[in-house]
Amino acid sequence: MAFEKMKLKEIEVWDGNMAASHAMRQVQIDVVSAYPITPSTPIVENYSKFLADGYIEGEFMMVESEHAAMSGCIGASAAGGRVATATSAQGLALMMETLYQASGMRLPIVLNIVNRALAAPLNVNGDHSDMYLTRDSGWIHFDAYNPQHVYDLNFIAFKVAEDHDVRLPAIVSQDGFMTSHTAQGVRTLDDDTAYNFVGEFKPMNDMLDLDHPVTHGVQTEEDWHFEHKARQHNDLMTKVFPKIEEAFDAFEKLTGRRYNIVETYHMDDAEVAIVCMGTSVETAAEVAKELRENEGIKAGVIGIRVLRPWPYKQLQEVVKNLKAVATLDRSSPNGAPGMLFNEISGVVINLDKRPVINNYIYGLGGRDLTKVHVAEVFRDLKANADAGKLTTPTQQFIGVRGPKLSYL
Amino acid sequence: MLEIRWHSRAGQGAVTGAKGLADIIASTGKHVQAFAFYGSAKRGAAMTAYNRVDDKEILNHEKFMKPDYVFVIDPALVYTTDVTINHKDNTKYIITTHMSTDELKASQPKLADKEVYTVDCIKIAQETIGRPIPNTPMLGAFMKISGMYDIEFFKDKMKGVLSKLPQKIIDANMQAIQRAYDEVK
Amino acid sequence: MSMENTGWDGFEIGAMLRSFDGPAKDIALTKQEDRNYSKNNSFTASVADWRIIKPVFNKDYCIDCQFCWVYCPDISIISRDKKMLGVDYDHCKGCGICVEVCPTNPKSLLMFPEQKDTEEAIAEWPEKEKKEK
Repeated sequence: MAFEKMKLKEIEVWDGNMAASHAMRQVQIDVVSAYPITPSTPIVENYSKFLADGYIEGEFMMVESEHAAMSGCIGASAAGGRVATATSAQGLALMMETLYQASGMRLPIVLNIVNRALAAPLNVNGDHSDMYLTRDSGWIHFDAYNPQHVYDLNFIAFKVAEDHDVRLPAIVSQDGFMTSHTAQGVRTLDDDTAYNFVGEFKPMNDMLDLDHPVTHGVQTEEDWHFEHKARQHNDLMTKVFPKIEEAFDAFEKLTGRRYNIVETYHMDDAEVAIVCMGTSVETAAEVAKELRENEGIKAGVIGIRVLRPWPYKQLQEVVKNLKAVATLDRSSPNGAPGMLFNEISGVVINLDKRPVINNYIYGLGGRDLTKVHVAEVFRDLKANADAGKLTTPTQQFIGVRGPKLSYL
Repeated sequence: MLEIRWHSRAGQGAVTGAKGLADIIASTGKHVQAFAFYGSAKRGAAMTAYNRVDDKEILNHEKFMKPDYVFVIDPALVYTTDVTINHKDNTKYIITTHMSTDELKASQPKLADKEVYTVDCIKIAQETIGRPIPNTPMLGAFMKISGMYDIEFFKDKMKGVLSKLPQKIIDANMQAIQRAYDEVK
Repeated sequence: MSMENTGWDGFEIGAMLRSFDGPAKDIALTKQEDRNYSKNNSFTASVADWRIIKPVFNKDYCIDCQFCWVYCPDISIISRDKKMLGVDYDHCKGCGICVEVCPTNPKSLLMFPEQKDTEEAIAEWPEKEKKEK
């Protein structure tokens, strides 16, 4: 091979961006087409340095926008290469149109999203409003809670996305700054082990197979469009979870690190639980443990590890015996209940017995979610559980200045 | 859990210092976190960086912290920002200044009843490294006050962290660390 | 298999279409009629019914300049070894560009009503036009 291998320590102190860069280096991507934007910039910055220093055999395309970045990825993926990029916030918003192209064309691109608030007002810090845009775009979506997860989930994302039974693009999201710029210990894989876990890229319907000419990006009107979209939805609903489970199992065998489609913390005998994403999952897990010890609240935490496909059945199993559930959305729904409230409500709606569910909007633009905030949510939940009904408004804001904001 | 807050100006190396410290502590088997608040701040703007250290995996991602140690690596920040915010009764302060601890406490009454140590990291950095980058000397002073590691062990580890720099710069940093270790009071 | 009876699960994924059934080695050197075009290839779809007028080829005046072959927007001029053979009436839409670019006098291609018999058309071919002085 025409590239150098890098010797890594068993544990490296990396931030989430560096973890993503190393995973991308280790899987030996053919084409990275990227346009930098805070806080994801260091991912492609580090990656291009690895390439310039001879650690990567591949192409790095500098383009004029995020729309062009994903377009470049789509072209390279259709041509038949392993492809990835990274972006945040406004960049992701500009990229949106092409995300649907990538998934509709069934191109297994991996996109690292470093979550950041959407302007206006301009803000570079982390919240989930950008990644919420991608929910219906047909991408598989993995969520990381710390730099170790970013590193590990990148390998899993490539493995699942590129599987010929799947062939769908995959997002790995991490919290801007709270993960992307927070250095923590990351247990590494050596270059060969990491590469072999994902394996050599196996092209499918690639344009560079000149003996089998193909047309990508065709037009289908009302005559055939629906069938193609139905096929894509069907494959997301039926084919992806088994492959994710397989990849999680194989990864656990290799590293001892276990990932689950729905992550649970202190849930065995829990009566009340918080559902959330990103770094908040771990903070909430720590608070749940403390409240169990100090206040006797049977608190648990449910972390969404795979946002798409939506783990409807898996969540039903986890929430069915709960008395009260708080859904925490780090994105302004702008005139509606939050996404997690709506989707978790959908999960329980046809159960015989269902928990009381409420919704919290928190952490916009990087506003800190403190352990004190989380403890207050658990106390609300305890009151709801004891009363067997809502004792609070359906939707409340956490950590915003001024008089308390609540709705519904 | 050991928690440290750095007060710095963007460009003075607090983030690098916090990550370097995390790197060294992680190599001894402990769990670490190093992060900072920057926003879109420019060089020279006041900023804070943070370290968390624990024997078990660190799950807490809140930015709020009641620090065990406060490092101030720019002398003016003692007056223009509140370096005592969210303090604990036993929070220890290591502050860069040309003044003695008593003079400093007299000039900033908020520090009067606090456990304060002083060292002139700016001067040390100027005289050894040749630039006012006070991050590595601060870590030398921290080793003295905390007794976390033997100073020779720490310097040896720090050489690894700085290994990509020219040998001359690494040697100068070692001198700076040792001087701050010796001079902090 | 008829396309109309294909269900949502009967496609290859990604709305990707193949030009040929099976491999297409040396396709550039294979004549169109010998190529194994797939049902998705536009070659297998006729647009003959779009025409109301058609180009008729009269080889008596053709100089094999290939202008019509170059300009035809539907690749419907059949030429082999740079010899003009005629018009592919399955794919010709009757646009008349070939007639427009034909440089001979009289032209070697002329438009006639679709229903016109080719032999009759050739019998009615105009004489060489005299240049006005």
